Amino acid sequence: MAPIRHPADRFLSPRFDWVDGVTDPRLNRRTFLQLSGVSSAALALGVAAPIGALASAEADGAQLPDGVFGLGVASGDPGTGSVVLWTRLAPEPLAPDGHGGMPPRPVPVRYEVATDESFRQVVRRGAAVASPELAHSVHPQVDGLDPGREYFYRFHAGRQVSPTGRTKTLPAGPDATFRFATASCQAWYHGHFTAYRHLVQEELDAVVFLGDYIYEYGITAANLWRAGAAVTPEHGVEIQTLEQFRLRYSLFKTDPHLQAAHAAAPWFVTWDDHEVQNNYGADGSRYGVLPEHFVHLRAVGYRAFYENLPVSLSTLPEGPDSTVYRRSGDGELVRFHVLDTRQYRDPLPVDTADQNREDRSILGAEQETWLYDGLAGSTAAWNVIANGVTVAAITTNRTDQWDGYPANRRRLLDAMRTTSNPVVLTGDIHKHVAAELKADFTDPASATVGVELICTSIASDGDGAPTDAYTPDWVRHPYVRLYDGRRGYVHVTLTRDAMTSEFKIVPWVEADADAPLATVARFVTPAGAPGLERLA
Amino acid sequence: MSGRHVRTVTGLHAEGHLGRIVLDWTPVPWDTVVDHYAVYAAPDAGDVEPGPRTLLTKTVYPHVVHSGLGGRARGFAYRVVTVDAAGARSKPSAPLAASSQVSVTTTGTPLAVVGDFDGKGLEFALSPNGYSRYPATFPDGVDFRVGADVPGTGWSYLHPGPSDAWAGRRTHTFRLRFDLASVPAGAVWLAIWLIDSHATIPGSVALDVNGTAVDRLRFEGGATRGSLEGDTTVPGTRLRPSYLERPLPPGLLRTGENVLTMVKDEGSWIAWDAIGLFAV
Repeated sequence: MAPIRHPADRFLSPRFDWVDGVTDPRLNRRTFLQLSGVSSAALALGVAAPIGALASAEADGAQLPDGVFGLGVASGDPGTGSVVLWTRLAPEPLAPDGHGGMPPRPVPVRYEVATDESFRQVVRRGAAVASPELAHSVHPQVDGLDPGREYFYRFHAGRQVSPTGRTKTLPAGPDATFRFATASCQAWYHGHFTAYRHLVQEELDAVVFLGDYIYEYGITAANLWRAGAAVTPEHGVEIQTLEQFRLRYSLFKTDPHLQAAHAAAPWFVTWDDHEVQNNYGADGSRYGVLPEHFVHLRAVGYRAFYENLPVSLSTLPEGPDSTVYRRSGDGELVRFHVLDTRQYRDPLPVDTADQNREDRSILGAEQETWLYDGLAGSTAAWNVIANGVTVAAITTNRTDQWDGYPANRRRLLDAMRTTSNPVVLTGDIHKHVAAELKADFTDPASATVGVELICTSIASDGDGAPTDAYTPDWVRHPYVRLYDGRRGYVHVTLTRDAMTSEFKIVPWVEADADAPLATVARFVTPAGAPGLERLA
Repeated sequence: MSGRHVRTVTGLHAEGHLGRIVLDWTPVPWDTVVDHYAVYAAPDAGDVEPGPRTLLTKTVYPHVVHSGLGGRARGFAYRVVTVDAAGARSKPSAPLAASSQVSVTTTGTPLAVVGDFDGKGLEFALSPNGYSRYPATFPDGVDFRVGADVPGTGWSYLHPGPSDAWAGRRTHTFRLRFDLASVPAGAVWLAIWLIDSHATIPGSVALDVNGTAVDRLRFEGGATRGSLEGDTTVPGTRLRPSYLERPLPPGLLRTGENVLTMVKDEGSWIAWDAIGLFAV
């Protein structure tokens, strides 16, 4: 089944007048109007195009600059029978105008999906139009796939063929073994993406990315800790325009290990704050930008997020709004609930009474209802909640986290009590933390209703160390079972009977990408018995 | 891109202030996906031809503060072009001319000045990012004597407030001592230029001259960047400078030593560009 969209199919509304966006005479209005079987919206949005009807445009596509697949390929939002494929044509990924060196006209892109890496058994073929309006990205959704199955895919543009990507659908039955990794916070300038070099060696069914895929800060000598890296002056300022956001995604994606990680498995991606601006919430900037102005920054940040990631069309922004919370998986083993903890949150509390207000929400009322309904209605053995900021109670002054929204946390924990095996995945803090989620955090003896696996950063904050100045705040709680401040990822194995979580680290990222991988902790969470049993 | 219509902005208007001109316009509707607005400016002109040489800035906001104009009244002509997500450009907006206001730092006679009124705070102690050393360097605040002390060691680039945990969550006092051979016959103005301030709680200081409480000086919200960078003239900077100039009540100054005291007892930090007293 495809990811469940909310609100359903809003992208099919006729708000996109794609014809206005087509200026190339070889792929013009008349050409498109002759096509059939695909909605004009889907065509314009890089989702689908009638294969075989784009011959003249493809002939022109043969003139494309070399290296159009310079940003790699990716897949995402897998369901039990579907997956979204992604690429963005960019022969010059670091072209300062953010258009990747592409000519300003639509380009048809074909794709193939096969059950074998040599593409002898192709099971799906299709096409989509890469338009300059979307930075020449395409997001075709492939349906009708078998559950729990490995597939390979590739794109064609003109005479060029992309690298091959591997993807996999979610399992349908309860007896599969499902392996995924979580990652977050990849400040490219702070270090090498060594963790991804190791992650691609795992045979993963999915990767869950938990926010801060890019950072908005200017990259200067003061924060460029990645040895051997250099950037041109246009990267030296804090990004604000769409061309700057596109360029920032391109810069980060030039890392070969990141591209390899995208090509190795389907990703679920949510955002945190740095996809727009540090510590923003809803329309509120911490840097004095008026709300009526800030929404314009949010619009380009959300737009660039969609363009550069393998996410469903349901996340395409409308102006400054984007429905990123979504759900995937109707099988019996696992269901993913992907949250947005930025767009709908109430402002920072003005005082303690405000912080403890019953109606404060980090998710917003609509997303809360959607989440609790989805948890209650899930028939999966494991319910995985991909979330931006820490849920566990740490200190009351960490108001950017769920600590700033205690009433919302109580509502979530209440919902988790009646959910089958809830697991919260979190990023943001640049530390590995494993925590048990208590029914009442003021009473450590209260029931454990779920677990939270917080993954450290891929590179943000550089090398890090096992402990740091923040460690005491976390480890003083009996329900916090692990703290480690080095870079890495979390590996999770799900079976019907248990979840095994392994916290992986690399000892350095600044000097080079050669650091070895180590496992600092392993936990087992038996099905039906939420908690973290540490393994030797 | 030919054949593509991109909406032109309307409603361009401007307001001239000390050291800056604030531009606003009506953003194009959301169904145009805007990459940015390109703002063009030409000095001392009634119109501007959009081009690479006249590009002032690119912004996603329907709002630009053309800052760093100094103390003189500066006139500019402006136009704005919409650039959409595909890179297509609109026709330029109608032109608009506007001027900044003149500063007392230009028209007055300096009596006591610390720092340069130049959009930079780099000449001050601990600049551009040494705030963590403030408590050890200035445990009793700043006590600066004009003619004896130098900004590089005697005047902190940041003036913290009680909201700043890194500075002990307490009030912080800056004193400016200066000698006058004679009291000016006319008005005396105080000029405070900031390169930035805390965005949401810039707060205020209680101003005292020679033991007489004068007033409370309230500051504009900045961009919360000035604790880490000190130059508003760098292209692309997000620093948000602000300016405060006001006359002092008569009769406060005296021959010999004078002391101007600022107690930051509200809000967070401000980041200095310069401070001075001017006879006009």
